[in-house]
Amino acid sequence: MTDSSSPLRVGQQVPDFKLETFDPAKGDFSEISLAAQKNAGQWTILFFYPADFTFV
Amino acid sequence: MFRKAGAEVITVSTDTKFVHLAWQRDEKLLEKVKYPMGSDPTGKLSRMFGVYDEDSGLALRGTFIISPAGVLLNSEVNFYNLGRNVEEILRKVTANVHLAGNPAEACPAQWHMPGDKTLKPSAKMVGKVYEALK
Repeated sequence: MTDSSSPLRVGQQVPDFKLETFDPAKGDFSEISLAAQKNAGQWTILFFYPADFTFV
Repeated sequence: MFRKAGAEVITVSTDTKFVHLAWQRDEKLLEKVKYPMGSDPTGKLSRMFGVYDEDSGLALRGTFIISPAGVLLNSEVNFYNLGRNVEEILRKVTANVHLAGNPAEACPAQWHMPGDKTLKPSAKMVGKVYEALK
């Protein structure tokens, strides 16, 4: 089991997580979860970035 | 292009979902965006993936590829001012999808897309990778 205080390493099982989202395809707020992604047999790419309204 | 490969891109920052809405509505570059924009204001998910900057309350530029079975297969983290190459991310996703369906194979460094030459690691190949790649 992953230690809750140390970050994930490549090769580890990712614990189920949920995220509130704004979904432009729906034009509305929504939620995604890793459990739902797994059920749909989809790969998940998490793309973290510092802040909206900035550049790069 | 990621959806075609069977992958869902989810962007994440510590902004609230309200800021995501305002930004997507405001910025012409984001007009065609169809992927969910995730909100991590407490930094909980960012900390889980080791990209939370405690000093700023912002997430570093990290990309993580998770298989349908929930295993973290790839991680890339840049400091603030270096953007990531999206083609490279797509290459890694398509390579991972190929390898998931062909577990006896390996994608060498020059692999770019399905159809490119892969390796089939075995005892015969030890010390003979040069010949295997030709």
